Amino acid sequence: MIPVNYLDLLRLAAPETVVLAGALVVLGVDLLALREVETGLRRLLLLILGAVTCGAAIAWMAAFPNLGNFMQGMLVVTPLTQWVKGGVLALAILTLLLSGGASFTNHWGEYVALLLLSAVGLMFLVSSESLLVIFIALELASLSLYILAAFHHDAPESAEAALKYFLFGSVSAGFMLFGLSLLYGLSGSIDLREIAAALGGPFLDPLLAVAMVTVAVGLGFKIAAAPFHLWAPDVYQAAPPPSAAFIASASKLASFFVLAKVLSVGMGGLEGRAVFGDYLPGWVPLLAALAAASLLWGNLAAIVQTNVRRLIAYSAIAHAGYMLLGIMGGKAGLPALVYYAMTYGFTTLGAFGVASLVRDRVGGDNLSDFAGLSRREPWMAFCMLVFMLSLAGIPPLAGFFGKFYLFAAALKTSSLDLLWLVILAIGMSAVSLYYYLQVLKQIYVVPPPSGLAAAPIPSLPKTVIILAALTVIVLGCAPNLLLRVLAAP
Amino acid sequence: MNAQDAIVKLLWLAPVLPLATGGVCALLKRRHRAAAASLAIGSVSASLLLAVWALAATVREPDPVRHVVNFNWFQAGNAWIGLGWVLDPLSAVMLVMVALVSLLIFVFSVGYMAHDENFTRFFCFLSLFAGAMLGLVIANSLLLLFGCWELVGLTSYLLIGFWYHKPSAAAAAKKAFITTRIGDLAFLLGMIWLYAETGTLLFYDQGRGCLEQSALNLLALRTAGLGVAVATAVGLLLFLGAMGKSGQVPLHVWLPDAMEGPTPVSALIHAATMVAAGVFLMARVHPLVAMTDADIKPTGLYAQSIPGDAAACRPGGVQKIPITPPGQAGHDLNLPVDPNAPGRTTVSTALKVVTWVGVLTALFAASVAVAQTDIKRILAYSTVSQLGFMMLGLGTGGVAVGMFHLITHAFFKALLFLGAGSVIHGCHEEQDIRRMGGLGKLMPVTFSTYAIGMMALSGVPILFSGFWSKDEILHAAHGWPVSRLPFLIAVLAALLTAFYMTRQICYVFLGVWRGSPGNAGDPRKVTAPSHAGRDTSSSGGLPHESPAVMTVPLLVLAVGSVVLGFFGTPAWPWFQGFLLGRRESLELGRLLAGGTLGLMALSALVAGVGILVGYWLYGRRPPGAADESDPLEHFHPAVFSVLRRKYCFDELYDVALVRPTAAFARACHWADQVLWGGAVRAVSRVTTALSWASRLVDEYFVNAGFDRVCDGLSRGGGHCSRFQNGQPQRYLRAIAVGLLVLALLLLWGCRTV
Repeated sequence: MIPVNYLDLLRLAAPETVVLAGALVVLGVDLLALREVETGLRRLLLLILGAVTCGAAIAWMAAFPNLGNFMQGMLVVTPLTQWVKGGVLALAILTLLLSGGASFTNHWGEYVALLLLSAVGLMFLVSSESLLVIFIALELASLSLYILAAFHHDAPESAEAALKYFLFGSVSAGFMLFGLSLLYGLSGSIDLREIAAALGGPFLDPLLAVAMVTVAVGLGFKIAAAPFHLWAPDVYQAAPPPSAAFIASASKLASFFVLAKVLSVGMGGLEGRAVFGDYLPGWVPLLAALAAASLLWGNLAAIVQTNVRRLIAYSAIAHAGYMLLGIMGGKAGLPALVYYAMTYGFTTLGAFGVASLVRDRVGGDNLSDFAGLSRREPWMAFCMLVFMLSLAGIPPLAGFFGKFYLFAAALKTSSLDLLWLVILAIGMSAVSLYYYLQVLKQIYVVPPPSGLAAAPIPSLPKTVIILAALTVIVLGCAPNLLLRVLAAP
Repeated sequence: MNAQDAIVKLLWLAPVLPLATGGVCALLKRRHRAAAASLAIGSVSASLLLAVWALAATVREPDPVRHVVNFNWFQAGNAWIGLGWVLDPLSAVMLVMVALVSLLIFVFSVGYMAHDENFTRFFCFLSLFAGAMLGLVIANSLLLLFGCWELVGLTSYLLIGFWYHKPSAAAAAKKAFITTRIGDLAFLLGMIWLYAETGTLLFYDQGRGCLEQSALNLLALRTAGLGVAVATAVGLLLFLGAMGKSGQVPLHVWLPDAMEGPTPVSALIHAATMVAAGVFLMARVHPLVAMTDADIKPTGLYAQSIPGDAAACRPGGVQKIPITPPGQAGHDLNLPVDPNAPGRTTVSTALKVVTWVGVLTALFAASVAVAQTDIKRILAYSTVSQLGFMMLGLGTGGVAVGMFHLITHAFFKALLFLGAGSVIHGCHEEQDIRRMGGLGKLMPVTFSTYAIGMMALSGVPILFSGFWSKDEILHAAHGWPVSRLPFLIAVLAALLTAFYMTRQICYVFLGVWRGSPGNAGDPRKVTAPSHAGRDTSSSGGLPHESPAVMTVPLLVLAVGSVVLGFFGTPAWPWFQGFLLGRRESLELGRLLAGGTLGLMALSALVAGVGILVGYWLYGRRPPGAADESDPLEHFHPAVFSVLRRKYCFDELYDVALVRPTAAFARACHWADQVLWGGAVRAVSRVTTALSWASRLVDEYFVNAGFDRVCDGLSRGGGHCSRFQNGQPQRYLRAIAVGLLVLALLLLWGCRTV
């Protein structure tokens, strides 16, 4: 038994600790000091407190970059995990600020605390290489997110969506736990590296195949890959927009990272081969099947949507397909994957922000509610243009370079085995342009409905949206700013 | 020595000052006349001071030496292209001549152009010209020389066409530009060839220059084909350039037409300086042109290699290169003037060509001048003829002989042209000598100075510079080892020179005034609005003497025309010695030695005969009316008519070159319209048809297919979307199905392994 050095643990888990403490402080302050304060001010103070907490965690990571491996993979901190955690926290800050003008609840203390708790879960998820910690962190994040999805106090569909999300999540968590236990049984370890050493390869045990598939179900639910995506459209559409934005951005970033880690570290020798029509069992053909299904299903279903948030949900499924390509690219594809997931997070968060503003103004977020946005809100319309074009992958925006690096990584590592999948992805990219342009057509071409009163929009969400758009443009024009640090050893 | 180094280093200012003035004048507004004139005159005065300083420094030099300043211009590959300037007797003499004549003519122009509304522009061009010409003179690089050469060509074009609203002036400008371009093409070819062979275009560069012994050896050794040495070929190409600029037959046709420009321009550019640039070029590259196998001398420098890369980094300081006088160290590239000195028996092919072209030009132009009636055209043909004399001098006697005539000619020909300008000015833009007469009494200063110029040109003995310089040429031609014929032709040309000048003097200054008062109906007046105002104010008056601003330059030039000759007499050939790097002392005995006296007597006789015949024909009984036919016409009308029509050169060129070119152009136009245009139209028709076809295919095959695909995608989306019916049971069932399918997929794979 190795003696546990708790000082080491504290040092490595300091950012998580800061956020956790912040969540408790938020709850305490809300209960003890802000009971009698007027709602608007209370909301502002709590959101700012939450944002400051996340900012402090980021600052801590920047100031004390402690790296290390605690207790054989319980907590592994590398520069890359630091960056991913920074991304999660940045998205959390934006989500908090995006809630600035919202009125879907009065329980702001609980809202902020839950958001911070789920951020803590995601951070541990990123940092751990131990099956147990991964599962616990996953559950911490998921449970917080279920509640966040149900936070709309006067919308029954919000509760309905959250319930579906919970049901779906718990079933897939069950599968995943089953798979993890099989893995432990097969290898005798919960540390990913030891598991990889024990399993060897390259040939697949049938029991291992089942374990692999069940783990894929659990994480496939988190990343909303077809066919485990069915919760996503309902939740994206019905949950409070900031919650949906957080589920779509930060949760996705961390989940992709952990999926990549579990597969490439924990099953390092079991890639298999996914040449079209001649495959070797392993996780690469598994992911290839998931990716192909996601690409087809997401893009095709998005075409017929009339609700913008639902449309973004289906496009998120399609993007999960693109990002799976990065995982198949192995270790070399990891920077490209993180780059894509981060920029995708900013983009989709901004798009949810715009949709939320339109919903607050017009009363809905169907496609027709966006008509003539460019006349009413030229800046927001332009930001939406940036988000949509980036999602469609038009240069020089971040979405283009992200896709480019993903495809390049997938082709480079597998010696053109995955060419068929890349071709499918590119073809589906072309299809996706159709529905993104549908949104832009409403914004820029269709005249606005008459009799819509002009009203000021809250400045906090507006700032967040413009910041997100700027990030997309800057990272698109200079992708090396981020890629260089991600690819650094 | 310090003062000498200083002037060498400052020499670049001489051309740059007028050039900069030209630039400034170009920016001045039209009404700033005084500013333009004073700037131009000031800058050229400064250049003159520098030139005099340079000449004084060169004269005071104890040993004949050539000062060279080279600098790198740019790098091309491994080779540096160098430029530079040189101060040696040749450039010093030319500098003073060009600057002095320019200054006088600038001053004269103030009076002559006083009524022109484009006065500022005129001085802009003049300054530009002066700068370019001075640059040409001091250039130590064939490239720099060529650049300035083109610049003077450009200003010549601009100034000939100065009255561009006059169609004849515009045509003359074009003609001058195009004709000289033919020569310039050869010049350029020669230059490129020279660079290809020697790797440098610098004349003098511490033994590496293209006019120095090692490069000359190389050029003489290599053959260009048909047994011709490269030196000869390059020399001939350069000479073609000189022929264009200096109006040698058959490229002379532009020079008489160039008289359409303002008279000061004719005097400065088309008599004194620019047209002499060809002669100067030949003098500058004389070592190259005169190079024969016999001149090959071993040198310490490279034997066969191309020195281009060796010239990579050149210091900007002053280099001193000694000038070897002829007769010393066996390095004699110039024929000795003194026939008693050991003569050369080998003459390079290029020099032979120079000689023959020169002498034929001299005779040809002199004979044409006999029959002309335009006062400036007579002088123009005279210029062509005298340029021919200079070439003859260069070819037979070397640099000194040709250059001496160039300098003296510059003065008396500028004097004559300015005199003619004064006459034209006084006669209200009349240029036809038949409509003048009796001006001697009306314009005394002009008459006396003109007479001096005429006597200098005719070669009246002892007192006038033209006698001495022409005598030198005849002398050299007499001693030419190749043939005696050029000498005889030159004597005939000299005779004609004296004759046509006498004819002109008689027509213009003697007899009675034949012009109609006011010259109503003269087309020149209509087309030259610059003088229209003055004409109306003074119309109807008799010719008048010109103002002092015009007569003072005449007087200065007249003095020059007389005095200059004494620097180059056989008794004291200081000028020749100076150019060749020798010290000459006064030895009256040489006047009497050998054939010198006889030749001088012959020369004087020829001039006398010419003048007497002229006076007998025209002065004894001056023509009474303007339309009276020329006395010569009575002798032989056919010959006279050929002469008057300038041997039909213009008509010949028109038939042989201009019309075929125009016809060819028309044919090309037709081909362009019908053949190529037809082809293009056919291609466009085919393209249109193809695009129609492709549109049909697009609409009925591609688009239809695409639409079907899109419909399919859309329906697929509908199916996917409908699957999502909101029932959690179905969602969970989907998980199960997905799990099963994926597990089976992997297990199926395991089975095959």
